[in-house]
Order: sequence, then structure tokens, then C-alpha cells
Amino acid sequence: MSRIIYALLTTFTALVLLFGYRTSTEVVTPTALEPLSLSPTGQGNSTGGTTSSGDESDDGSGSAGTTSSAGTTSSAGTTSSGGSTSATSSGLQDGTYQGTTASTQWGPVQVQITVSGGQITDSQVLQYPTGNGRDEQINGYAIPVLNGEVLAAQSAQIDMVSGATVTSGGYLDSLQSALDQAHG
Amino acid sequence: MSMSQSSFRRLVDVEQIMGMPISVHVVLGDLDRDLDTTVVHRAVGRAFDHLREVDRVFSTFREDSDLRRMARGELDVADADPMVAEALRESQAAEVATRGRFSAWWQGWFDPTGLVKGWAVEQATARFLQPLLAEPRVEAVGMNAGGDMQLATAPGSAWRWRVGIADPEVRTATLATIDVGDGAVATSGTGERGNHIVDPRTGQPATGVRSATVVADRLAHADLWATTAVVAGFDDLGWLGDADSTSGMLVAPDGRVRRWAGITEVTLIDAHPFTVAG
Repeated sequence: MSRIIYALLTTFTALVLLFGYRTSTEVVTPTALEPLSLSPTGQGNSTGGTTSSGDESDDGSGSAGTTSSAGTTSSAGTTSSGGSTSATSSGLQDGTYQGTTASTQWGPVQVQITVSGGQITDSQVLQYPTGNGRDEQINGYAIPVLNGEVLAAQSAQIDMVSGATVTSGGYLDSLQSALDQAHG
Repeated sequence: MSMSQSSFRRLVDVEQIMGMPISVHVVLGDLDRDLDTTVVHRAVGRAFDHLREVDRVFSTFREDSDLRRMARGELDVADADPMVAEALRESQAAEVATRGRFSAWWQGWFDPTGLVKGWAVEQATARFLQPLLAEPRVEAVGMNAGGDMQLATAPGSAWRWRVGIADPEVRTATLATIDVGDGAVATSGTGERGNHIVDPRTGQPATGVRSATVVADRLAHADLWATTAVVAGFDDLGWLGDADSTSGMLVAPDGRVRRWAGITEVTLIDAHPFTVAG
């Protein structure tokens, strides 16, 4: 049973690793969950059902079972993002990037990121099969977005803080305390 | 997107229960409509009362708690508060589900402390705060107990909770944010109490993960799997297949980060330029 799960993890890992936020020529190496019990190349047939594909790259991920990196849905025309010589994190054009929808035996998988001001401001799994009847859940699973990926102004708008247990001693100078006071 | 602008207002209440500050936020919208806030305050009061009741039964610091009396052999499960039997069942299920990475018995006696807090907050939110969403002006409710929270949003509301994930190194800073409508967020790790998560299989403190944040539907589960993630260590996400986490994040002692959605690790990778939808 666990072997089957790991096989699925491998598949999904390869499918979701579709986005580059830096433009560079580095070879893509999907980060596999361990223990990795299957060769990723065994998953190469799992990207059926793709929609439009604006893929211009052969980033090496094909060897890990992914076939394309981005599909476009906007009618505003497509452009290519920054050249491959730029290695900064701000090499992205503003816009919304959607990964191709990949059909898996559990259902469709699709990821979207939004770029504003050259930085990723949002990343969402648009569709993701859960295996428990909640397929087709749109915008269901937000992914934690690292501060380095978002605009500073946006990261400041926080409603609640999750962290290792804040005891009474540490509360008063905690960020949650500041939020409670600001809103209370 | 969090819409903490002028279109929303909120009531905040903080109380000290179970040895930690617990914040309740009730988000109100549609400011043109009147709302009798006594309804809100009564519900919040009952939610806090529920937590005090749980503390009375499960406190490890109060010698007269059901839990301590059981540990001394003075009280049987059958005669204890019914919540104890429920906690026993949940603890047994948690130990099986986590393959022993969580255990309420590792010290030799029953101590479900690691499980009870999230479970109590989840129940208090579901029973007393969530019904407030039926009020026309209430957009969202949330309860945050020392960094672990259960959040709920009215159907059709534009409100989303923007949750900051604390930087384990700097208490007043965040490392990441995640937007949540309905769900729970729990973070475990080596926070201000030091190494307080013990691997029940070895009795040794788990040190491989600085901070583990798990998002799930229920706080009891988010809390359990966040603890499990710390025990499992930074290199092992194999437990995701057993968990019902919707997303989350690990931070290693050296600052490396791993993230996932569902049972899939999500990594933003270096790649060639790709087509942009303008």
C-alpha cells in the first residue's frame, strides 16, 4: 500500500513542479518525496488532457514526466518573459500563469500563480484530486507563499498568526497580540 | 485576498485559558445593517467557557483535574467526564494514524495534552462561533489558541483569512502567508519553550524540523500532523499519504523550506522562460 502511495506522490510531484519563478538555464530537478520507490521516468504518460500550452522550454523536466510548463488563458496576447540571462527573482512578467491541466487517475491537477511587480503574489492549486470525493475543488488549496515571493505591502496584511505555541509570557510582544489590538 | 479594508470590521476578544492567550475574531461586513452584538458576545463567551471546561478536565497542572486523578489511580475512565473517553479514542486513533509518531502514553501514563488543545478549539468554534455565520452581518469567525487556529467563513463571503506563518527565529516576523476560507492552521516546532516535542518512539526531543505548519479542515488533525511532521523530520514527507492535510510547510533548522498541497510537494523551480498571459 505504501508503495502505491509513493508512486502517486512521485507522479503528482512531477506534475505540479511546473513553474519557474526565476529565469535561468538550470536543469530542473523535481524534488521527490522520499523514500522514492519508483523511477520518475515511469510516470511519463500521466499528462493527458492538457489544455493550451505556451511551453517554449525544454527545461529537462520531461525526463521526470512533465511535458510542459505553462498554458495561457488570457486574451491579452502572450509574451515571453525575461531572457535566460537574468537570474534574479524579478525576471517574471506580470500576469497569471496557469499550469496545464494534467489528468491523473485521481482527477485533474492544475496550478496557478499570479505575478505582480515581478514577484509572485499568489499561488493556488486550481484543481486537485483528493481521493475522498472532493475532486474539482476550485481554489481549494492555497499554498503557503513565502515572503520573498510576495510584495512586501501585501505581506503586511495579516489577520492571524500561526506559530509554535505562544505562551502568556511571550504574547504581549507577539505579532498576534499586535493584530488583536489593532483590530479590537 | 485578505480584505481587511474598510468594508469589514471585527470584534476581537482575548482570554487566557489553558496557559495560553486565546484570541477570537468575529468579522463583520455590510456595515449598513444593524447587528445586535450581544448575540456575538454571548457566543464568544460560551466558546471560552467550553475551553475552561476542557481545561478543568484535562489540565496537567491542576491536581484535581480528571486527568491527574486518573494518573494517580483515583478515577476510572467510566467515572470521568465523557470528554476523557472521547480523548482516549481520539488518542488511540491518532497513534495508529501517525504510525506511532504521536503517542499520548509515551510517558507511561495517559496525557493527551498535545491533542486536546486543537480538539477543544475546533469544538468550541464549531459549536459556538460557527452558528454566528447565520447572522446576516457576520462574515467570518476564527479562534486562535497560541498560534493554532480554526477559521470559518460564511458561504459566499468575499472574506479570506490571511494567515501569517511565524518566523521561528523572530517572534514578531512572518516567513510566509496563506489564505484560508474554512479550515484550520497549526504550527508545531521548537518555539519559545525550546525542544518541547518528543519523539515518542525514542523519548528524545525531535530536532530535525524548526517549524511545521499544517493546514487541514479540522484543527485536531492540523495539530496532530504538525506535531507528526516535526517528529518525522525535514527529509520525511512520507506521512502525507496518511494525513488529511490540505497544504503546509516545513522549515528546517538551517532555514530550508518544503511546501505541499494535498499529498503533493510543491516547489517553485528554476526553469526557462515560459509564456505569459498578459
